[in-house]
Amino acid sequence: MSLIEIKGAAKGFGPAGARTEVLKDINLAIEEGEFVVIVGYSGSGKSTLINLISGLVKPDAGVATISGETITGPGPDRGLVFQNYSLLPWLTVEENIALAVDEVFKDWTAAQRKEHVWKYMDMVKLKPAAHKLPKELSGGMRQRVAVARTLSMNPKVLLLDEPLSALDALTRATIQDEISEIWRQNLTTVVWITNDPDEALLLADRVIPLLPTAPATLGEPILVDLERPRDRKTLNHDPKFKKLRTQLINTLLDAKGRMKPKASVKLTLPDILPEDLTHVNSLQFLNRSGPKRRSDSKREEVEVAV
Amino acid sequence: MHLIQRFKLESILLPFSAILVCGLLWYLVAGKSIITEKVDDFGDKIKVTKRAGLSADLPTPVETWKASKLYIEEPFAKRGELDQGILRFTWMSLVLVVQGYIIALVIGTPIGFFLGLSKKFTIAFDPIIQVLRPVSPLAWLPLGMILFSGVKIVNGEGRTIFGASDAAALFTIAICAMWPTVMNTAVGVRAVPQDYLNVAKVLKLSKSKTLWKVLVPATLPYMFTGFRLSLGIAWLVIVAVEMLTGRPGVGGFLWQQYNANSYAHIILCILTIGVVGYVLDRLMSVVESRFKTA
Repeated sequence: MSLIEIKGAAKGFGPAGARTEVLKDINLAIEEGEFVVIVGYSGSGKSTLINLISGLVKPDAGVATISGETITGPGPDRGLVFQNYSLLPWLTVEENIALAVDEVFKDWTAAQRKEHVWKYMDMVKLKPAAHKLPKELSGGMRQRVAVARTLSMNPKVLLLDEPLSALDALTRATIQDEISEIWRQNLTTVVWITNDPDEALLLADRVIPLLPTAPATLGEPILVDLERPRDRKTLNHDPKFKKLRTQLINTLLDAKGRMKPKASVKLTLPDILPEDLTHVNSLQFLNRSGPKRRSDSKREEVEVAV
Repeated sequence: MHLIQRFKLESILLPFSAILVCGLLWYLVAGKSIITEKVDDFGDKIKVTKRAGLSADLPTPVETWKASKLYIEEPFAKRGELDQGILRFTWMSLVLVVQGYIIALVIGTPIGFFLGLSKKFTIAFDPIIQVLRPVSPLAWLPLGMILFSGVKIVNGEGRTIFGASDAAALFTIAICAMWPTVMNTAVGVRAVPQDYLNVAKVLKLSKSKTLWKVLVPATLPYMFTGFRLSLGIAWLVIVAVEMLTGRPGVGGFLWQQYNANSYAHIILCILTIGVVGYVLDRLMSVVESRFKTA
């Protein structure tokens, strides 16, 4: 049995009538210890998908399970890292992490909990910033705190919702490597959401494209059997990597292409041609042979996508 | 450098000229004493003082200063129960305001939280709050008198130290000053970012921990805006309360001096109330800005 399974899930938002269906026919199975990356366009429902697993969103149809149990709400077994870090700005780095640790490990002594907090601060190399407030940290450091806070709960699965999309490219690369390294050491199950195909292939065991149909659905998964640790510099020239990337991008582009005007309406322009009214009082105007019909000259049609 | 100098000069010079203009207007409107000598029926020479001007009874700035000098130069003197230095009166008023204000915050903040957290509570109580909010302190005070008519705390010597009028005064200040705190807290709680609430959900924080670690800190800036506005209102209300109850204080002094035809002291009181109100507002906004960043 897989660790996480989603069967036939669908989700829409809004009241009846003005309802937008976001996801349909979502079937997904994630094995223990697997690093799965879900790639999709912005606004295609990626966050909704990960929130089905985190429990922040309940599916309209179908079911999501972890270790065979139906997911009904958030829980410490599924650690979620938010896109915008979501650190509490009035707490220091240490306090932000301690907030999670104190809640999950209630039966530990204060000393044990403190040690646990520091272990994870060390893991993301933030010991020197322990007593700083989030606003004193760079974006990359903030995201590392968020990752540490989530990992410190010892979750069965680490869910990351576009964790690096707010960072600059260089910082992003560093943190990709760091999280990849942490994963290799701990082998927690990871579900990572991104809109960057390169990031997906660099990190994942398996990449699943989220196709931008309306409502969105999952495409054929792509197995990434590149050796680890992966080095981004050599990877760029790896023919296997190039092939996988082409395959992934084409899958996404094709789905997007199919979304283009499936339905179109042919509009016929008004039949009567406009008249020149600047010289209404001229003889020419008075002697004209009435309004002209467009159909007399030629028939024009315009195609408009809807 | 030149610009800074000019800016400084402007920021001092302009307010001063505005004060000067207002003082001049005051002087023009105020009544002046005209002293004439007259021979009376007995053949003695006497001086007759007559006041004339647009508002004959209004003292001029100079007269106001002369009459108020004693109260300002000896701000803490106590010459009698109703004849004390101006700061002594102000202090009495402040003590009462602070007591009423604290009651307002202690009651208002939780109500604000309930309003912000529960839609049902809002629907239920919003009409009552909207109706009570605009009621004037002058209307609340008599009700307070009736409500607390039985209150009487007597000290060892048999003197009442806390009576119905004290309770009514506190009640009036509290109920009038409460609303900005209630409204701002409610708005603040509703404005807590969904992200923070999601964090609380994902970390499975308990109800009390969510309140103290997430909701309260996230609402603090709004709460302090409410606290500042509440303090302003509490200070507004004090004058009305003291006038009606006859308590010693800056407002009571004002009313008593009006009845004693000592009009210069009214102006002294008005200026004092204004300055104190301004200082309180500045102090609170310093505290407020400390929480703005959170």
